Amino acid sequence: MEAISHAGTVLGVLAKDGVVLAAEKKVTGKLLDLSEAKQGGYGGSGEKIFLLNSNVIGGVAGLTADGNSLINYARSAAQQHLLNYNEDIPVELLAQRLCDLKQGYTQYGGLRPFGVSLLYAGYDPHYQFQLYHSDPSGNYSGWKATCIGANNGTAQSLLKQEYKDDITVEDAIGLVVRTMSKTMDSTTLGSEKLEFAVLTLDPETKEPKAKIYRPVEVDALLVKHGLAKKDEDTEMKTA
Amino acid sequence: MECSFALTGKDYVLVAADTTSARSIIKMKIDEDKIKTLSPHLLMAYSGEPGDTVQFAEYIERNIRLYHIRNLYPLRPQSAAAWIRRSLAESLRSRHPYSVNLLVGGFDTADQSPHLYWIDYLGTMATVPYAAHGYGSYFASSLLDRYHNPDGTLEEGLATLRRAIDETSKRLIVAPGKYMVKVVDKDGIREIEL
Amino acid sequence: MNSFASRFIASSAENEIRQAKAMAEEEGLTDAMWGSDAGFGSLVTGHAFNVPAVPDPSAFLRLHTDDHADPNCKIKIQHGTTTLAFRYKGGVIVAVDSRATAGSYIASGTVKKVIEINPYLLGTMAGGAADCQYWETYLGIQCRLHELRNKERISVSAASKYLSNLVYSYKGMGLSMGTMICGWDKTGPAVFYVDSDGTRLKGDLFSVGSGSTFAYGVLDQGYSWDMSDEEAQELGRRSIYAAGHRDAFSGNTINLYHVQEDGWKFIGNYDVTKMHYEGPGPDVPGAPVGGYGYDVRTHGRFSVLPTAVPA
Repeated sequence: MEAISHAGTVLGVLAKDGVVLAAEKKVTGKLLDLSEAKQGGYGGSGEKIFLLNSNVIGGVAGLTADGNSLINYARSAAQQHLLNYNEDIPVELLAQRLCDLKQGYTQYGGLRPFGVSLLYAGYDPHYQFQLYHSDPSGNYSGWKATCIGANNGTAQSLLKQEYKDDITVEDAIGLVVRTMSKTMDSTTLGSEKLEFAVLTLDPETKEPKAKIYRPVEVDALLVKHGLAKKDEDTEMKTA
Repeated sequence: MECSFALTGKDYVLVAADTTSARSIIKMKIDEDKIKTLSPHLLMAYSGEPGDTVQFAEYIERNIRLYHIRNLYPLRPQSAAAWIRRSLAESLRSRHPYSVNLLVGGFDTADQSPHLYWIDYLGTMATVPYAAHGYGSYFASSLLDRYHNPDGTLEEGLATLRRAIDETSKRLIVAPGKYMVKVVDKDGIREIEL
Repeated sequence: MNSFASRFIASSAENEIRQAKAMAEEEGLTDAMWGSDAGFGSLVTGHAFNVPAVPDPSAFLRLHTDDHADPNCKIKIQHGTTTLAFRYKGGVIVAVDSRATAGSYIASGTVKKVIEINPYLLGTMAGGAADCQYWETYLGIQCRLHELRNKERISVSAASKYLSNLVYSYKGMGLSMGTMICGWDKTGPAVFYVDSDGTRLKGDLFSVGSGSTFAYGVLDQGYSWDMSDEEAQELGRRSIYAAGHRDAFSGNTINLYHVQEDGWKFIGNYDVTKMHYEGPGPDVPGAPVGGYGYDVRTHGRFSVLPTAVPA
């Protein structure tokens, strides 16, 4: 729990036609090798935002190593469901699977619980777009917009003020970027500090389509919203 | 001998199964219901080895009910059929395989579409517009190739089903006497008198 | 650690059950502790049969019991039988013959084919006599335990389901039973047919055994829900007589039982040959005057007109 409140912020917003997830990266520095992230398999630098299944993206706050283990478990659970039922795992069921695991570690002595909170952004035909949060105890809940990690209190109140029902993904992206820029410790915002992902429906196939932004795309997004690091001050003046 | 038929139409699936329970040459029962309601919009007709049929059908019924209770929504027909097929396929390589043939018909409330699956005891599954098991299938499959209408009304579907049953009664020596017919559509499941 | 985590991986149903069992064993938990086991308690888990240590138990059993293939085989199983039971407004009638055959030899003419499970439940015996006797007695134990645990008598439906699940677990291992579980519970009179295939059927009227077709012939035609008790008992008696007469493997005597709301009652034992010539007698209610036999019944009547004596 303690670790999570210090961890990089992860923020999620549910829109009527999609879900948006953003995360603040803590492991940074000039010497960090980001070549893998730049070419990355499905996008993203793989520190905080992961593709759990074709219809679910997960955001992790807490101990990274524990997070990796849970991500691995979630992917297995999703594949197991696909094998048994020939369908993408319903989002809530995936959250439940992880929570069952997490809860198990709170019940038995001698084992250390997973020090991880997660956000799940997903889609299934039963409840359409969904956003869930789970904590280390194995509790989970559904949200329209929520935030975990450092400064989550500030972010939550910002979201509460600005969130509107039936918000579109485009607006949600804007809301997320703005909120992130206000809550993050650093004054500069850039792809080396931010991960970003959106889940929408493919207009043609009507199947869920997860997009985890590559570093260049994150930077482009920040420019578009006038929050790119160097130009921040000048932009503010001209505006 | 055991016969079951099923066909889809516009927004519904019809499932029919004979109602006889036989042991060697004797009919032990003539009003046995061999079509289980698995969930509010899912039907399963079962036939095969005595004993196995009911045991397997109840196993499926209860697990699908359990899924419904746990998740508040039932499995969709596609997923239920996939799971049922998997259960049979796993059983096939066990020490005591279930010898059960199935017709699974359901209505998907998520996208308002009817679905029908033909499944045999080997775990073969086919998505089909109409299907039959037992000796009746030798008469019905060609007949349904000829007469089935995928967007027919319920009345038209019933008429086609009646054709298949009548033909089986006419030509099959060991034809069953009575059938139970059930329909599943957006309103759920009902029994229909032919 | 790994095995701990693997507990939570939900995969196949089989896996889940195995995991649940492993978990229960680890924790020293059994279903019985929770009062589960379908209410049948620790006897079920404590009970296990030794299966012959051969690759295929049923083939092994067949080798030693199939008197068609080998008339000198060591164990002979009773095959010929007629049993019947039916439900009507006044309760359940259970009637059986009493012949035991081993091949062409009549091993006994005084077999009790109705098994008195408890004062409210009867079971009939067809197929392997020992299988029926053993498992129906065992069922009686379980029914009593149900009663003690739940302060309530077990329903006929539940009792028959217990038996059918039990024999199903032995499927393919050579059990041979065809039985009717009869009784009276909250729902009124009830008859369930249970056999060693695992089939279990609820119904009004059943007959089992080599003579069952003959019994059905008389039973089906004479049956109606609204019969009087006398008519019903007579129908049961007459149906078994019919099978005893026509089926070589059935006969000797008839045992007749009547189940009513306050439990079962033994009505009587009737000799098939005596039934043929004399019938049950004048002091038996509902019985006709004279024997059941065709010649006896139709004495003095002819389909050919007596030839007119020429004047």
